[in-house]
Amino acid sequence: MKLLAVLTIVTPHVNYVAILPELILIGGALLLLVSGQLVFAKIPTAFYSIGSGAIAAAALVASLVIWHDVQARGPFTTIADSVAVDGFAIVFLVLVSCILILASAIANDFLVREGIDGPEYHVLALLAGSGAMLMAAANDLILIFVALEIMSIPLYILAGMDSRRRESGEAAIKYFVLGAFSSAIFVYGIALVYGATGSTNLPQIASYLNTNIITSNGVLLAGLGLLLVGFGFKVSAVPFHMWTPDVYQGAPTPATGFMTALAKAGGFAALLRVFFSTFGVLRTDWQPLLWAIAIVTLLLGAILGLVQRDVKRMLAYSSINHAGFILVGLAAATSQGISGSVYYVFVYAILVLGSFAVITLVGGKGDENHDLDAYRGLGRRQPVLAFAFALLLLGQTGIPLTTGFLAKLYVITAAVRAHSYALAVIAMLSAAIAAAFYLRLVFLMYGVKLPVGSGGDEGALSLPVTGEPDDGLDPTGSVPTGVNIGRVVVPVPTAVAIFVTVAVTVVFGIWPGPLVDFVHAAHFLF
Amino acid sequence: MGSLDSYLPIFFMVVLGIAFASLSFGASKLLAPQRPTSAKEAPYECGIVPTHEPARRFPVRFYLVAMIFVVVDIEVIFLFPWAVDSQSLGRFGLVEILVFAASVFVPFIYLVANGALDWGPIKRVRPVESQPDRTSSSTVRHVGPPNDQAA
Repeated sequence: MKLLAVLTIVTPHVNYVAILPELILIGGALLLLVSGQLVFAKIPTAFYSIGSGAIAAAALVASLVIWHDVQARGPFTTIADSVAVDGFAIVFLVLVSCILILASAIANDFLVREGIDGPEYHVLALLAGSGAMLMAAANDLILIFVALEIMSIPLYILAGMDSRRRESGEAAIKYFVLGAFSSAIFVYGIALVYGATGSTNLPQIASYLNTNIITSNGVLLAGLGLLLVGFGFKVSAVPFHMWTPDVYQGAPTPATGFMTALAKAGGFAALLRVFFSTFGVLRTDWQPLLWAIAIVTLLLGAILGLVQRDVKRMLAYSSINHAGFILVGLAAATSQGISGSVYYVFVYAILVLGSFAVITLVGGKGDENHDLDAYRGLGRRQPVLAFAFALLLLGQTGIPLTTGFLAKLYVITAAVRAHSYALAVIAMLSAAIAAAFYLRLVFLMYGVKLPVGSGGDEGALSLPVTGEPDDGLDPTGSVPTGVNIGRVVVPVPTAVAIFVTVAVTVVFGIWPGPLVDFVHAAHFLF
Repeated sequence: MGSLDSYLPIFFMVVLGIAFASLSFGASKLLAPQRPTSAKEAPYECGIVPTHEPARRFPVRFYLVAMIFVVVDIEVIFLFPWAVDSQSLGRFGLVEILVFAASVFVPFIYLVANGALDWGPIKRVRPVESQPDRTSSSTVRHVGPPNDQAA
């Protein structure tokens, strides 16, 4: 009797080049983690930042190598069909690499200013980036879940990175607890979908749904709904957005920008692939659901953004509003809508990184100067910084000649083509409402005269806090009473990063061809 | 809805569970006499009368050690099935498990280098900024019996 018979286990063929960007990020992160520990001298923060930027740049090069591979050979899958290498995945690989490069420059100056040394920030950012990449490339629900966790867990820690501020820890706990809940719901959704279709592999699910007509699809629809809850949490769509303002406000500002860009990229990549590509057959079932979620997300983000005094909370509601726009493209459920959504994610990630970089600088040492009053007269004190911020805000508003305008145009056009006129009208309406708070900030920077005594140097004076009280929970329960409005220091790396984001916004707004063509290559494998 | 029929017992189980819990709590709220005394409200109704609250601060080091243990434990959990099937997994399995072990070992180096296993006095990693408003009377909370309040 041979109990321990040597079974032939078929090991999957692994195309290591196809997952090279993820491997570079994870390997690089581990290298960065130990590199500083093996020497006894104190390593400057810049070393880790440059290392992190270089690793992300290597991932970008690897993504472009795969890009050429896919253009030559066509899309393919690897590792037992669990990783899809198609145009859609590669657009997000490139986006995540760019986010990581920009974020490492912005984070460097923040870490130096706050005296947070060590490789941890960059290591966590790289690991989160690898998770986001894997989410875009995942071709299996189980892998999507694993990638979601690889992305989320470092983001929870990044939110609590600034251990000297209590709000930061609170943000991390809130984000972690709610995130863990949504992940559990997501897994339940996977289980129900598996129960209904007999597979977790996305192409297999799609082919099953194409060849079989399910007469009682309650379990499948319940699973689909639970998947939507999990994704909705990550991209902060409205019924699941509660964490967004508190976490955005509490997290260290560069981490907020990074988290927004990355979670939107990873979350929407998987959401678009699962809903449009896999469950496209069931679109008449999920379209009304997404339609409703898109409408409440658009309106709630725009309206609650109006009453915020804290710029980070304001941009949190703005990010909810933007999530609504991206959902408009998905709700259209046409390939035009999907490329509109992908373009929107790409553009918004760059815009939000730049915006939060400016907020990091204005926040000053201690990362607490985020009241609207801190921006009063910024145009006079620091015209270049204010101009860059104004351009980024106008880009988020959707002013013509910026990428933000084209993004809104594409998703709304897709909605109109799909005959959902109500959604298109509400989207435009919410853009008009949201414009009010973006433009208010721009006017505040340029229009209002400075109070007496603040020339440029250390003019720390207390301004009375006026205006509407915050609607949500203030993590500390206290509003900063004194607002420091001196000149803010603009270090070179952050300045370069802001310049790049502004350049992308304006150049590709005036000359949209290259970026639009690149995003239009975002075809699904099947 | 044929396929959902098999879920019906689960649904009834959930309903029964909720009904039983809410009925028991509701009944005890309505029927039981509410006459609280200080002895009844004590955390432990029998045993030594507590004189003061226990210290709330535990050394965070214990959590660190517990976490390291969990990480290494998980590594063993993954090593075990590989060891059982190492013959049939062949070279592919060996390479994969080595990569896995290496990526667990790297954070271990990080932990040791950062003093997670040092049990001596804590060394300061970062310089502490002086904060004049933080004194021993404003930051230290005494956890002994409250006799200093009476004084």
